[in-house]
Formats: sequence, C-alpha cells, structure tokens
Amino acid sequence: MNPFLDISHIDMVFPTPKGEFTALKDVDLKIQKGEFVSLIGHSGCGKSTVLNVVAGLYQASTGGVVLNGKEVNEPGPERAVVFQNHSLLPWLTAYENVELAVNQVFGKSKSKAEKKAWIEHNLELVHMDHAMHKRPDEISGGMKQRVGIARALAMQPEVLLMDEPFGALDALTRAHMQDSLMEIQAELNNTVIMITHDVDEAVLLSDRIVMMTNGPAATVGEILEVNLERPRDRLTLAEDPEYTHLRSEVLKFLYEKQRKVEPISRKAKNKDKKNTEAA
Amino acid sequence: MTTTTSFIGKISDTGMLSANVKKIISDFTRWVVVPAIGVLVFMLLWSAAAQNIDTSLGKFPGPAAVWEQFGTLYDEHVTERQKAADFYERQEQRNAERVAKDPGYEPKIRAYTGKETFLDQIVTSLITVMSGFLLAVAIAVPLGIAVGLSKTLNAAVNPIVQIFKPVSPLAWLPLVTMVVSALYVSPDPMVAKSFLNSMITVTLCCLWPMVINTSVGVASIDSDLVNVSKVLRLPALTHVRKIVLPASIPMIFTGMRLSLGVAWMVLIAAEMLAQNPGLGKFVWDEFQNGSSDSLARIMAAVLVIGFIGFLLDRGMLQIQRFVSWDKSSADR
Amino acid sequence: MKWLRPFKHALMATVVGAGLGTAAAHAELGYPEKEELKFGFIKLTDMAPIAVAYEQGYFEDEGLYVTIEAQANWKVLLDGVIDGRLDGAHMLAGQPIAATMGFGTKAHIITPFSMDLNGNGITVSNEIWDQMKPNIPKMDDGRPVHPIKADALKPVVEKYKAEGKPFNMGMVFPVSTHNYELRYWLAAGGIHPGYYAPHKGDTSGQIDADALLSVTPPPQMPATLEAGTIYGYCVGEPWNQQAVFKGIGVPVVTDYEIWKNNPEKVFGITAEFAEKYPNTTIRLTRALIRAAKWLDENNNANRPAAVKILSQPNYVGADYDVIANSMTGTFEYEKGDKRAVPDFNVFFRYFATYPYYSDAIWYLTQMRRWGQIPEDKSDQWYKDLAAQVYRPDLYMAAAQSLVADGLAKASDFPAADEDGFREPQTHFIDDIVYDGTKPNDYINKFSIGLKAGDKL
Repeated sequence: MNPFLDISHIDMVFPTPKGEFTALKDVDLKIQKGEFVSLIGHSGCGKSTVLNVVAGLYQASTGGVVLNGKEVNEPGPERAVVFQNHSLLPWLTAYENVELAVNQVFGKSKSKAEKKAWIEHNLELVHMDHAMHKRPDEISGGMKQRVGIARALAMQPEVLLMDEPFGALDALTRAHMQDSLMEIQAELNNTVIMITHDVDEAVLLSDRIVMMTNGPAATVGEILEVNLERPRDRLTLAEDPEYTHLRSEVLKFLYEKQRKVEPISRKAKNKDKKNTEAA
Repeated sequence: MTTTTSFIGKISDTGMLSANVKKIISDFTRWVVVPAIGVLVFMLLWSAAAQNIDTSLGKFPGPAAVWEQFGTLYDEHVTERQKAADFYERQEQRNAERVAKDPGYEPKIRAYTGKETFLDQIVTSLITVMSGFLLAVAIAVPLGIAVGLSKTLNAAVNPIVQIFKPVSPLAWLPLVTMVVSALYVSPDPMVAKSFLNSMITVTLCCLWPMVINTSVGVASIDSDLVNVSKVLRLPALTHVRKIVLPASIPMIFTGMRLSLGVAWMVLIAAEMLAQNPGLGKFVWDEFQNGSSDSLARIMAAVLVIGFIGFLLDRGMLQIQRFVSWDKSSADR
Repeated sequence: MKWLRPFKHALMATVVGAGLGTAAAHAELGYPEKEELKFGFIKLTDMAPIAVAYEQGYFEDEGLYVTIEAQANWKVLLDGVIDGRLDGAHMLAGQPIAATMGFGTKAHIITPFSMDLNGNGITVSNEIWDQMKPNIPKMDDGRPVHPIKADALKPVVEKYKAEGKPFNMGMVFPVSTHNYELRYWLAAGGIHPGYYAPHKGDTSGQIDADALLSVTPPPQMPATLEAGTIYGYCVGEPWNQQAVFKGIGVPVVTDYEIWKNNPEKVFGITAEFAEKYPNTTIRLTRALIRAAKWLDENNNANRPAAVKILSQPNYVGADYDVIANSMTGTFEYEKGDKRAVPDFNVFFRYFATYPYYSDAIWYLTQMRRWGQIPEDKSDQWYKDLAAQVYRPDLYMAAAQSLVADGLAKASDFPAADEDGFREPQTHFIDDIVYDGTKPNDYINKFSIGLKAGDKL
C-alpha cells in the first residue's frame, strides 16, 4: 500500500552569493494517515525547509512530495500550516480570520449558515468561542496561536503542518496548548507534521519522532516510534520508564550523536537559546 | 481595626481624588492655558511688530485690522450673493420677454457672472485640492501596489519616480497649462481649463510620495501573511483586497497625509502664479491692487490658509485612525 | 479717400449681408449668437468702459452675459484672446496692429471700439527727481513749469552713463502706447531710447540706447521702482498716482502733455469672432459705447460713481482716493502739487471711441521709427494694415442702431461719411505735426529715429 504522505528523496539546494548551499540531502519519509509525526533537530538543520517543501512554499531541487496519490507543487489549503508567529491578519477579528479561510475552502460547498456554524465550531474546539470577535492585538499570545490552529483546522486539511507552534509561548501556556492539541487530535485524528525544539513536547504528542542530522546536507538521522498509550497524561508519564527511555534516546541523539560544535564565542551568545531548546 | 481600614480607605480615597483633581488641573493647564498664553503672546508680539513696520501701503496690519477685514470679507460675500440673486431674477425676466417675442427660443439660465468672493475662493481651492488629491489617490495607490508587488515593475518605475519626486510641481505648471490648452478643446467645457491646470498640478505633487509610500508598504508586508494567502490559494484580486491593501493602509495613509499637506501649499502658489481661481489668486489680486486694506486682507487669507491646512491634516488623521487597524501608525 | 473706397464697399457689403448696415435694418438687429462672454482686462483705470457696461447692466441689456477677468500681463491677455480663452479684451492700441502684422504672436485681431484718450503718465523715482529739479524752470510760486521736457532728464542720464550705470526705465509692453510715449518724450529731449531689430532676432529694443527700456506689468511698476530696479516708468493710472501716495516717485509728465488727446486703449476681438458672431459684435460695441458715454456725461458727473466701481477689488482695486485723483479731472504731480487736467481721461468726447485709421497709422509710424518694422513700407501699406485692424464700419453700425433706439444722438458720433482720418494733429510736445495720410513724411521729421531708407 502506498503511504498517505510520501516525502521522497528530497534534495534542497539554495543559490547563495558564495555558491550553492545544500540544505537538505536525500530526505525520505513516509507518513500514514492519522499519524502524528514530530521533526526534531538543532536549529539550522532544515526542519522548517522540509515543512515548507511539504506545504508547497518551497520547491525541492530533486525528489518530491506525494500526498494521497497527488504530487505537491504549490501551496494549498489541504496542507494547512500553523505558523510559529500565529500569522493572523491583524485587521480582522478571530472570527474573520477563520472566516477568510472557510470562505476560501468552502465558498461554494457550504451555505452561509453552515459556514458560520463551522467557524464557530472550530473556535470552540480551541476554546476561543468567548473571544471570537476580538482582534489579535486584544488577545494574548496563546490565544492568538489557538486562533491560528482553529484557522488551520477549519480548512479540514488532509495534513496539518505545524512550525514550532508553541515555540514563542511561556512554559505554562505551552503545556495548556499541548493538552488542547492532544484533545483535538483525539477527536479528529488528523495527520500532523510538527516541528519542535522541545524534547518533552515531541515525546508527549507524537506517534513517531523524526530526528534530523545537522546541516549542511541535513537528512533524517533516526526515527523513534512512540508507543505510549493514549490518552496521555503528562503527570503520569513523568513516572513512566518508557517515557523516560524515549526522552533520553532523543537527548542522546541530539547531544551525543549530533552534538553541535560551535566556536566558544558563539556558544556564549547562543547560550540562552540553547537552554530553551533543551527545556 | 475597622476604623483603621476605613481611615486608610478614606486617605487613599482623598488621595485618589486629589490625584484626579491634579490631573484635571494639569491637563487643563497643558491643553488650554499654555496654548492660550502662546496665542496671546503671539498676538502681542504681532501687534507690537505691526506698529513698527511701515510699508508703502501703510502700517503692517495688526490683529485688529485683520479681524475687521474678516468682517468686511463676509459682508462682501453677502452683498455679492444678493447681486447674484438679482442677476438671476433679471435673467428670468429677460428670458420670459424673449420667449414671448420669439417662441422658438429655448430659455437657458446662465451662471452668475459676477466676482468670486473670499468664501467662494476658499471653496474653489478646497474643491481643487480635493479633486487633485483624489485623482492622485486613484492613480498612485494602484500603481504603488503594482510596483510593490512586482520587483520588475519596481525596477522599471523607481528611477522615474525618484527623478520626478524632487521636482517642484510649480515647474510643471507651464507644461500642464500648455498641454491642457492643446488637448482639452471643447466648445462647452464641463470644467474650466484653469481648474484642470490647478488640479493636475496638485495631482502631480501628490503622486510621487503616495506611489513611494504605497509601494514600500506593500513590499514590506510580513512574509508570513503572504504565506497565509498562498496556503489559502487566494486569487490575485482577493489577495490584494484582503491582504495587501489592509496591510499597507498605514503606509498609504502616511503618504496621503504627507501629500495633502504639500498639495495645499503648492496649490496656493500655483493659483498665485497662474491666476487660477482660488485663495492664491485672492492673495495675488490683493497684492496687485495695492489698496490700503490689501495687506490686512492678505493676512486674513494667510490665517485662513493656515487654518484650512491644519484642518485638512487633522481630517486625514481622523480618517486614518478610523480605517487603519494599526492605531499607533496615525501618531507617527 | 479714393484708395479706401473698394475696401469700405467690401466691408459694407459684409455688414449689409448680416442685415446691419442700413437704417432700415437697425430695428432688426438680431439676438446675439453667443451670449456668454469672457472679457479680459489689466488693472488700469482705462478699463472703465468694460466695468461700467457690466455694472450699469448695458451688457445684459444686449442679452450678453459677460464675465470680466483680470489678467496677469499684456502677453497673457493677448494669448487669451488668440486662443479663445477670452472672447475680447481691453488692449493696448499697438497690440491688435502688431498681432495682425505679425510682430510677436501673429493673429488677426480687430478693434471695433477705441476705449479712451490719454490717461498715462511718466513717473521717476525720488532720487532722479531730485537731480532733475534744478534743470526745470520755476513758476512764481516756486512750483515747476509744466510740461516738463526730457531735456531736464538728459543731464541725469548722461551722468549715469558716464559713471557706467545703466539707466533703466519700465514700460508695459513692446507695442504698448507707453513704450511709444516714453520713447517720444525721451527722444524729444535728446535721449535715445534704443532701436529694435527683429530681423536680426533683437527684440530687446536697446540698440544705441541712452536709456534702457524693459517690460514690467503695470500693477508691479511701483514695487519695481521702489526696489530700485528701474529709475522711472511710463504706465496708465492708477500706478502713477500710487507712486505719489506711497511717496516713492514723482510723475513728471502726462501723455496729455506729450500728445494732446492721444488714442490709448482699444477693445480687441479676433476677426474670426466678429465674422462668426456679427450680432454679438455689434451688441457688445453698443454696450461699450453706452458705457463710455455714461463716463463722460454731464461734464464727468458720473466719474465719482465710476471710481467707486473701479476701486472694487475685482476691478482695479486700488484705494478710492488714488483712482479719484486722476479720474475726476485732476492730477497730482509732486505730493501736494495737484493740478487740474480735466481731459486726463477722456472716454467719449472728441469722438474718443471712434476707431480712426489715422490712430492706427500713428502707432505704425512709431513701430517703423524704432525699428519694430525693420524696412520701408509704402503709405498704401500703412493704410491697408490700418483698415484691416480698425473697423469704423462695425462702430458705425452699433452707433446708428443706438441712435435709432434713441439711446444716443447722431451728434455724439462722427458724420456718416467720415473717411477715418483725423485732421492733421498738432499739440505734440516737440511741436511736430502728424498727418495720418502721409506716414512716411511724418517719420522723416524726427531727429532721433529711423527714417525712410534706414535699415539697421
């Protein structure tokens, strides 16, 4: 059986003033329907590039992506993206932001009332129904991200692409969001690719964790199956030996096998950033 | 215990109260008293200076003389309106007489042929500046969006805009005049040539800052928003309407406000230079008349020009606040 | 005048064709073909007939709805008439002649109505006046004897010339009355005002000049004098009296003293306009004749009312007192030296509004004298050109219809068999006699200026 989403032998080469730069080399990944896959790796390893290729925002230099039997060569709502910086249109309310997507995707197939119900349903799903007529600058960062997710979900995508969706949030809010996402996933069983820096997040949410080697010419290093029971609970899991094992596997990959060697001076500068990544 | 709390409560209450009163007083001082003192000092300096400047047309007008002219100008306006009413009455009577003698004649009411009053000139200038400005908006915003969206178009248009931007629109005036005379030939023109000349000069003056600001606004849209549009596969027109236009509204308005301010100044100068109807012509005519009231009348016009310029800017600011999502951009 | 006959006949034929020539046709004077008109003027008191025709309702009586618009300068005004922005305008007498001849912009402009006699003056700055004064004979009361001749100015000009300073003076337009009057006055006093040489591309008019003449629009004369750019100027009213009021200069001579009852402004329209709108042309001429008549009626009784109209900002706009100074029969030279000049502005008497061919020819002789016409022309040429521009036939049609309507008396106008030439005129400041029928003879009488056969 063909995989639902086939990322097939992708190379990504960018022209730069100093010559060509090979960002990705032979990235190959097959994802089944309903699977939740995390991409983890050090910054600059090309995780986002992979996501952008799947989204159709970038064109692979060689290789390609096939979704549900169709080749991907441009962006489209069947591959909805949740951006790191929420990317809500600041002049529209939460409702209107979702509405823009719904009108575009279901412009003809749903009636006005159906569309309204669908928009509200998706905002309810992310617990934003109480503030759906507020503009982005009137709500918190976490709430904005929820609206971003609602917008993506409202497109009823075949695959949901999330680019470090909770990276910019504080630890508490992030935990909330992760729980929400698990709830939604339990209900909808979407196919998801999520980029993350956060080892706990990866283990908590994923069915598989794809660990990427450092660039240039980054590629898939190892793939870790996460066979933890769902629904998962972060408190219970904290005691679970399987969870601890998986967590340490990822850490080992990142800090032993793919340790990033950087000059001392730069290291000091990036220290804070590293800390958050490790957290 | 209770007494202490309520006592403390009282203290904090009165504290709050006095803080409020203080704020009101300081606001009042800041927004009313200080500006009033500023205006008063200016008036005093003005009348003192006016006393000491002797021109060949008599003393430089002080505030009192100018105030008096405002009254005179208004009276002249009223008189002229009365004359206009009489004019129409006579005309109708004449038309009726002619129809009686010459039944084939189709009576026609011709516009009043008398002079334009100060108030008429204000209205003319306002209409001219707004028409020129709106024409510029109609050209510059679409052009700016196109230039902002397409790097190729930007490369093609940019040098032209950069060269024309620093040119005083007054330098265009003679060319505009000649071109309008050559191209706008109609036996029964809808609008006067002089109006077109002034209007096109205003348009030329507004065009460049608006094109530049719009294109910069469009080009600097957050790439994430552009990606959102791509993922949604918005058609080009919807993309412009839903994403590009709203995103660049703050920059577009910054350009508009800038242009309108300059346009108002340029229009007055153009009217003076080309003798086109409007406040500029009023000023020039008064200067040419050289009557003993001329300077006071010019000064009255100067004050009106300044006040209208101020109102235009405030008006644009209000519109910008109203339509723009980025409330802070209006304060820049 | 034998030579005129064919021309006059042709004209009469046209007029009769339009149904206007004969007494019987007067009653049939048709409605105007064009009713909405725009007339241009320069802010000078001699635009009065236009303002009066408007304010007294004479235009409306003819069914004409006229807008009157001040123009920035004489060139803008002439261009306005040529390109049709203006239907007609208050013009310098030389303008229609020069335009028809092709000196400057070429266009066939005609004049059915002469606007006034006299009305100009020559003013010098205080500085120049102080230097001139010792050279002027005094009356018993200590005031200078008028008319003052340019002889008094000559030593001053020579002094400036010796010091290497250009002696600059202002006039309003190269073909303006003022240019020729200033030149006439200067040359009569032995000061050379300079030649034009258009065939060599020199239109500055400063060849061989002792005094350098340049163009300044009338309303800007006082300001230019005050700024020291020019030492004197020749201009119409109120800009000489304005200099007295402002205390920046002294009028030394009026054009009445240079040439008694000289023709001044004319009303100009294009030949095409007159052809296309014959009724409108006659009707506007009627309104202007009535206005001129009103201005001179009952021994200038209406002049104060006229001054009031002119002092409105949309007409001349200067103070009432300034305009009244010259318009009501007086003229103030030095401050306080106000003398009676009852004919300073003549709008109607002495047939002031009749477009005499001889008036046109005088301008042509001056154009030839100063080189604007670079080569010799026959007497016949002068007469033909005058007849192309000056249209007494149109004037007479209007005048006769006014007489028929009882709005004027036949005696107000020259006799119907008028040949278009005034009797030989005397009363020039240099006592040279002008006979319009012999232009070449006249040119040869001047000591300064080009004569028959001269070419630069």
